[in-house]
Amino acid sequence: MTTEGFNPRILGFLCHWCCYSAADAAGVSRYQYPSNIRVIRVMCTGRIDVRFILEAFKCGADGVFTGG
Amino acid sequence: MIISETCRQALKDIGVSPERMSLEWVSAAEAPRFVELITNYVSSIKSLGPLGSADGEGGGDLVQRHLRAGVKAASAVKVRTALGKLAKDMHKSGDYDPQIISAGVAKKVLPAFRQERLSQEIQLCLAEHGPCDMDSLCQETGGTREEADKILGTLSKKGLLKEEGAIWTLV
Repeated sequence: MTTEGFNPRILGFLCHWCCYSAADAAGVSRYQYPSNIRVIRVMCTGRIDVRFILEAFKCGADGVFTGG
Repeated sequence: MIISETCRQALKDIGVSPERMSLEWVSAAEAPRFVELITNYVSSIKSLGPLGSADGEGGGDLVQRHLRAGVKAASAVKVRTALGKLAKDMHKSGDYDPQIISAGVAKKVLPAFRQERLSQEIQLCLAEHGPCDMDSLCQETGGTREEADKILGTLSKKGLLKEEGAIWTLV
């Protein structure tokens, strides 16, 4: 498979109070950022578990971004 | 921090590049920083290529089976108690230096994870391919002969596997 034209599927775990609001603000102020990221909002980054991340890769994510 | 370090080491054990997982801190007021981080992260994943194709990753199907075993291993009681114990020890010592965390995870959590993963994977392997000998099991799971020998011993004691002329089958 060539890496050209490869659109990675990235799963983002974003904390409701920090990173999620930042993502929201970025949207409101119309900053452009890649649309490869699918976001799951968690109430706190501390909620995230090893299992979640492995499961994400198992379900076909090419990367997992955790934002606190 | 312990969880993220465990993730990194577990991914390495599974054969996925640890760079695929990132942990960053962005405050609610830092939208430009978020945009910058996401952009950089997406381009770094693009350069790694799809899952299973980067350096040291053994192809999609193999990684997929490793991951399936990994998910089961990460839910295992042994691994979770090891994580809990490590967190308690760290809290007691009050020292959260990244190097100390990394050493602690490598010493206390990873051996339990690896053993559990290999054990799960041997069972998955036998279920998929049918009866196998030890060498092909080692090759498929990425474990050493000693590790495989020990795990096969425990599994057969539990009555899950049986051996007939060095060929292992699921019961």
